[in-house]
Amino acid sequence: MPAGAADRLIAAAAGRIRAARPDLVADLDLSSMAALEAARARIRDDDEGDEAVVVAVIRAPDLPRWIVETCVFALSLPADRADAWRRGFTRTLHLAGQPRHLGERFRFAHVAGDGSAGWTAPAPASDVLGLRRLLKTFAGERELRPHAPVTVRVPYPAQYHAGGGPARPPVHRDLYYATARVSVAEGLVHLNHLLAEAVLDGLVGPGDRLTLRPVPRLTGLERTFTAVRAETDVHRPHTLQAYAALTEEL
Amino acid sequence: MAAVPKVLLAPITVTPSKPLTPSHLKGLFWADVLHRATGHLAEVTYRYSHTTYHRTEQVLGFWEFLDRTEGDTDYHDATETEIGELYVRYRAQEDRPGAAALRPYAEAVEESGWVHPASERVLRLWSGHYERLGLYDPGLREHQPPGLGLEEMIDRLVAAGCGLDQRRWGGSVHLDLTRWGLPLRQIVTPDGRPNYLACALRELLVLAPRHDEVVFLYDRELAPDYRLLERLLGSADTVVRCVPIGRVPIGGRIVSARHGGWQDHTVDRLLAAVDDEHDVPAIRLGLRLYFIAMLGPGDQQSFRHDLLAKSCARAERLLDRAARDPKADSAELRADLSRYQHSHRYVDPYRLTSSLLARSRRTIDAGLLSEVFL
Repeated sequence: MPAGAADRLIAAAAGRIRAARPDLVADLDLSSMAALEAARARIRDDDEGDEAVVVAVIRAPDLPRWIVETCVFALSLPADRADAWRRGFTRTLHLAGQPRHLGERFRFAHVAGDGSAGWTAPAPASDVLGLRRLLKTFAGERELRPHAPVTVRVPYPAQYHAGGGPARPPVHRDLYYATARVSVAEGLVHLNHLLAEAVLDGLVGPGDRLTLRPVPRLTGLERTFTAVRAETDVHRPHTLQAYAALTEEL
Repeated sequence: MAAVPKVLLAPITVTPSKPLTPSHLKGLFWADVLHRATGHLAEVTYRYSHTTYHRTEQVLGFWEFLDRTEGDTDYHDATETEIGELYVRYRAQEDRPGAAALRPYAEAVEESGWVHPASERVLRLWSGHYERLGLYDPGLREHQPPGLGLEEMIDRLVAAGCGLDQRRWGGSVHLDLTRWGLPLRQIVTPDGRPNYLACALRELLVLAPRHDEVVFLYDRELAPDYRLLERLLGSADTVVRCVPIGRVPIGGRIVSARHGGWQDHTVDRLLAAVDDEHDVPAIRLGLRLYFIAMLGPGDQQSFRHDLLAKSCARAERLLDRAARDPKADSAELRADLSRYQHSHRYVDPYRLTSSLLARSRRTIDAGLLSEVFL
């Protein structure tokens, strides 16, 4: 049984590479954990430093609100920016700061209505050096805490570009995320990749409802997932663990 | 008549864990001359509270280290050098105690003004140095808690839009002046340890607005932090003046006291070299001529015992001359001092002290020397 779950996580991680870099897939072996690690190393080495990156300026990352705003940001991206970011594996730097203090000097693609977070449009890393010099990495060392399930709704932005086509009818999914030995800062990274990529792939759209379900670990749930964030296990360095996942439509 | 202006002089204290070195003495003499000279033209508050900075990790960590490695020890007769050597050992350690290990010490400082006997001993020795050197003692051994608790200070910063408190998520507390293009600065670590800037803000947020001018004398290496303080505390009613002072290299190198190497440059050694040749007033004036006028605000010249001795000889001649020159009255003294104010309210210690050596100075007033330099 464990082998089956592990294989599904490897397949999910491989699927993510295929989606981001279809140009490389023909050359890459993504069939095992060792092959996956080698492929990632190669992609890192080939990285020319001009891949698109987003800076997320974090003031108050209370998860339900932050999750909604992350989706709104991803929905607001025009197709070319979204594609560049997807190709760069939705790389995002989380910096501590107050977006409302920075609006005069830096351009944000989206700022939460309460100023709790703000996102720059995907751009080459050299474009965000000024922000990186001014701010510090968000520490967020506390472990994520479990709470009762909370349902949030992704709003309809004034205009949105992701997915290209007309809006589909809203759906409802569970959003699971792991809390045991996962810090707030790590949780933001995992959820950011999962949600941004889900929005860019059309899995999450305007009007959708997400029920947040923090659990110590996502073990035993993987059969119900339609998108999963798989990364190195907190306990075992050469094994994957599911850190966050979206279920099929409820 | 205009009201007497209020000036706040608030240097960062020297950690009481080691001997006073030439760099420390330079800062202390600059502050002392500034304080005493400005005191004739303004109401000066010289805030120099060790209590405020005992909460920093350098101090609490050292105390915890002493108790952990030395056990119950009598520091009553320890020398500065002996305690300083323990401090060098502490700073050389790679592993630092966590917040939990420091908590009993932090609580004792906050609750009762407790001071570790090793630092108590160092402060007692420093009081003796101050007396010998003719330095005004701003309360080295007094319990002088800052006006705000740590939480109150953070609340005020946040309320003013200048603080970012992310402790709820295991983040830091930052001083946030990014709206003015100044970099975010951590002041409390995620595990709750305040740095010296957090300690300074606990008193400055209260004291600064009560003054017309705030003067910061500081080590040049701390300039980025003082730019933040200048921006934060300056207002229509309070002008902030920054006076950076370079350290004194020893043998061409600027080395922090945490690395040791002070053995030939403690106060006792400095004085031993000039004690036989000169009387107390000449030594006091000579030290000020050397550390203020000769070394100046920069950090280019290494410390030299021979030049210090020359300064004392020169001070001797100035004192002889002052004894012959007519004594100025207090109005004349104020007029003389005001020439070194320029656009600010504080008296520039460098220009004032240098003027004693200028050929153009016609008289040396004994009153000026005794009021400001002895």
